[in-house]
Amino acid sequence: MRRSHADLAVTAAVAVLACGAAAGGVPMAVTAVLGIALFAAPGYLLGQLLLGPRIGGLERAVVVTGLALVVPILGGLLLYAAGVPLHRDAWLGLLAGVTLAGGVALFLRRRTGRAAPSGWPPEAWRRLPPRHAAAFAAAVVIAACGVGIAHLGVAMQPHPGFTQLWLSARYENARTASLGVTNQQGSTTRYRLILLRNGAVSATWNLTLADGQTWRQVVPVTARYRMAANLYRLPDLGRPYRHVAAAGNRAAGS
Amino acid sequence: MRVANGSTGRGPTGSAGPRRGAADGPATLPANDPAAPSADGTAALPADGPATLPAGGPAPLAADDPAALAADGPATLSRLPVSLVAVSAATGAAVVATAYTAGRLGQASSAWADRLYWLGQSLILAPAAARLLSRRLVTAAETVTLVVVLTVAEYLVKVCYSPAAFSYPDELMHWRSTVDVLQTGTLFTVNHLLPISPRYPGLEELASALTSVTGLSVFTSGLIVAGTAHLMFVCVLYVLFRHVSGRHRVAGIAVLCYASCSLFQSFDSMFLYQTAALPFFGLTLLAAWRLTARETAGDRAGWLTVAAASIAAAVVTHHVTSYMLVAALVVCTLASLLAGDRFSTAWAASLALLSAVTAACWVKLAAPATLGYLQPAADGVLQGFRTVLTGGHSSAPPASVVPLGNQVLGVAAVLTWSALLPCGWRQVWLRHRREPWIVAMAIGSVSWYAIVAVRLAVADGSELAGRAATFVYVPSGFIAGLAAAHLIGTAVRWRAPTLAATALAGALLLMFDGLANSWPPYWERLPGPHQVAGTERSVGPEEIAAARWALAALGPGNRFATDSGSYPVLGSYGDQNPVRSVAYLYTSAVFTRSDAQRIQAQSLLYVLVDQRLSQSLPASGQYFPVDPDAGRYTRPLPAGGLTKFNHIPGVSRIYDAGNIVIYDVGGA
Repeated sequence: MRRSHADLAVTAAVAVLACGAAAGGVPMAVTAVLGIALFAAPGYLLGQLLLGPRIGGLERAVVVTGLALVVPILGGLLLYAAGVPLHRDAWLGLLAGVTLAGGVALFLRRRTGRAAPSGWPPEAWRRLPPRHAAAFAAAVVIAACGVGIAHLGVAMQPHPGFTQLWLSARYENARTASLGVTNQQGSTTRYRLILLRNGAVSATWNLTLADGQTWRQVVPVTARYRMAANLYRLPDLGRPYRHVAAAGNRAAGS
Repeated sequence: MRVANGSTGRGPTGSAGPRRGAADGPATLPANDPAAPSADGTAALPADGPATLPAGGPAPLAADDPAALAADGPATLSRLPVSLVAVSAATGAAVVATAYTAGRLGQASSAWADRLYWLGQSLILAPAAARLLSRRLVTAAETVTLVVVLTVAEYLVKVCYSPAAFSYPDELMHWRSTVDVLQTGTLFTVNHLLPISPRYPGLEELASALTSVTGLSVFTSGLIVAGTAHLMFVCVLYVLFRHVSGRHRVAGIAVLCYASCSLFQSFDSMFLYQTAALPFFGLTLLAAWRLTARETAGDRAGWLTVAAASIAAAVVTHHVTSYMLVAALVVCTLASLLAGDRFSTAWAASLALLSAVTAACWVKLAAPATLGYLQPAADGVLQGFRTVLTGGHSSAPPASVVPLGNQVLGVAAVLTWSALLPCGWRQVWLRHRREPWIVAMAIGSVSWYAIVAVRLAVADGSELAGRAATFVYVPSGFIAGLAAAHLIGTAVRWRAPTLAATALAGALLLMFDGLANSWPPYWERLPGPHQVAGTERSVGPEEIAAARWALAALGPGNRFATDSGSYPVLGSYGDQNPVRSVAYLYTSAVFTRSDAQRIQAQSLLYVLVDQRLSQSLPASGQYFPVDPDAGRYTRPLPAGGLTKFNHIPGVSRIYDAGNIVIYDVGGA
């Protein structure tokens, strides 16, 4: 491959590999890198086709980025108008299709001399003194540490634990309701759940739930009963920790 | 084959001579260049030029020109390398992240954590501003690097505020729409929080496409899309400013002034549809500038395609941005007419027409609800001015009292802008009045005074003025940059470091005002424990769990009553349809027949009650999205107003998580 067409080969390879990575079980990091490259590739090729290397540096970068963002926006609208569901295959097809078509068009234009070959990185970056390069690298590391510190803060932030109790029917006139408990206390917790019908104990469950674990039960409901559920957090049986009550027909679904 | 960055044809003014904007081109100066001898006979120094030039020597080089660097020798080089500025900015971002972590660990109200935040911001802003406003040389590459470093560092600050998930209400709205696109594979889905947003699906298309092809989460994809769009917008502004002014230092200072916009670090870099549309706004203007440049002849078809694609993308991504684009192009047309440049006028008018037609077609075909969505804001502005003109005072009382320091900073910033803009206009009149794009910037910058008037005269004017600032600061920043660059040039000529220091102090004042009086508000400057009726600090695990339960157990789209803290969470994570005017349900301990009738009239099915509303005053000054008592609360809501639902016949208590209880009021 001649050096002047290397960019076309790279973009075509990105398109093929990104589609392959999406189809096969490759690591997430590889899919992410290829996906981002595929996202950028159409912008690069369209920038070369429309303006060539006659604009330089930052201006070329912003035009290329802008065109890369335009493709999913306008392309997605066209796919939607054509009735194509906007799932992964459609996006991959759109981006890879524009990349390959753009690559072919650019190749033909270059062969006929109507487009210039690819350029090389700006001179300034090749002239960057090592100490400045080291400083920029240090800046990137420090910034990454900053983001890490922020993530650490989120992970360490204390939140008061809580327990969810519910008794609900999704639809009116349902014959059953969902009774459930989710433990978000931060540790394994023991509960006693008592279901009441017209104030009388109908059922009792002793539950031991790990943090994040959910227990749920479908209970029959009718219009004749007023239902309630009291959840006790053991060992305290003196006062309900959580309480729900279905009055009348609606919430109980009857 | 490498082609030079600049070119030497006729400029957009049609004037012969070197092209303004050929920043890296030859050193020859146009007749009206600031570097040319001034009318008062002062030395021929570039307004934004180097500190040293040989007296009586050859015509000075533009400070932007690399050749000038060599000519002036190392004495004019700054002792503060840009790489060190980058290290300082990164350190600043890390320090702010540390302050955020301190806030999360219980120090959100402590003075030292707050000072740590401001120390971090100082490390980001001060070196970059000092370098750009220095009397010493700054090359084009250095200027670009400074602009990028500043933008990226401030974006990292925004990311560090909420690094694991979106928490800003508007971001949650767009997160919901993106998830809907991913799940349904269609556009124009229903968004109960922001019904208009699915009609402008550009942002959601970008995020869902990136999520689909990378496998990343919607949050990570959203950060990449928003960050890329924000950085691109700033860079395109820089390129545009550099072309228009012909000087990279003016462009750099202008971007610095733009960065003092109160929404620069927050709203304009968030996962919002305006953030995604802004780069297309800038790119269209850049393409318009290129089209009006005569030497672009060979590339005109390419630039026209770029302009058309950018216009289309802007129109389908954000309503207000597309209208502002039309307005900007109309102003360019008028300025070209004033400058007597028919060529420029024709191109600017054509693009303005294309933008207007595209926007109108989109409203007609895809987003007819846009007018109804925007009309209340427009009516509010008109009503506010009408009231003021008839001797009244329309501003609503502020929901929360702003600290005195913030108010002083705000007033000082207004005074600084008020002084800078006339100075910039004077420069335009003296040196650039035949240049359509600079005249357009001058005309556009007058709108800065309009947003000050809106802030003072209109109820909720601060919100409107803040939103408008994103666009108003484009021309205003440029004109202020022109004035500041002239000030630096004067400092060089007079060898007056005090003047340069004044310019630096002014720039820092503007930037700190932009941070102090913007988002997050002072009462949520640092993330921390839950706040009653706050914004991002009201988004916690308990609220999210309740919202997710509502979606799973009740299905989507139910009409809910809730407070302002849970409002965005319920609408996004829960995909419910929260109602805004529900204060009457919570403020009284008695449930009346009238309340029951209003519940029916509003088709409310569920009421979410956060028991903490009776324990704390609202951080934002209002408990509910529409709160008739906003800013007037002196004590928390009565507990009876929250617990009364337990005793209302026909009302079911269907969910209890301790602080949050949900009632089914369909049978009330």
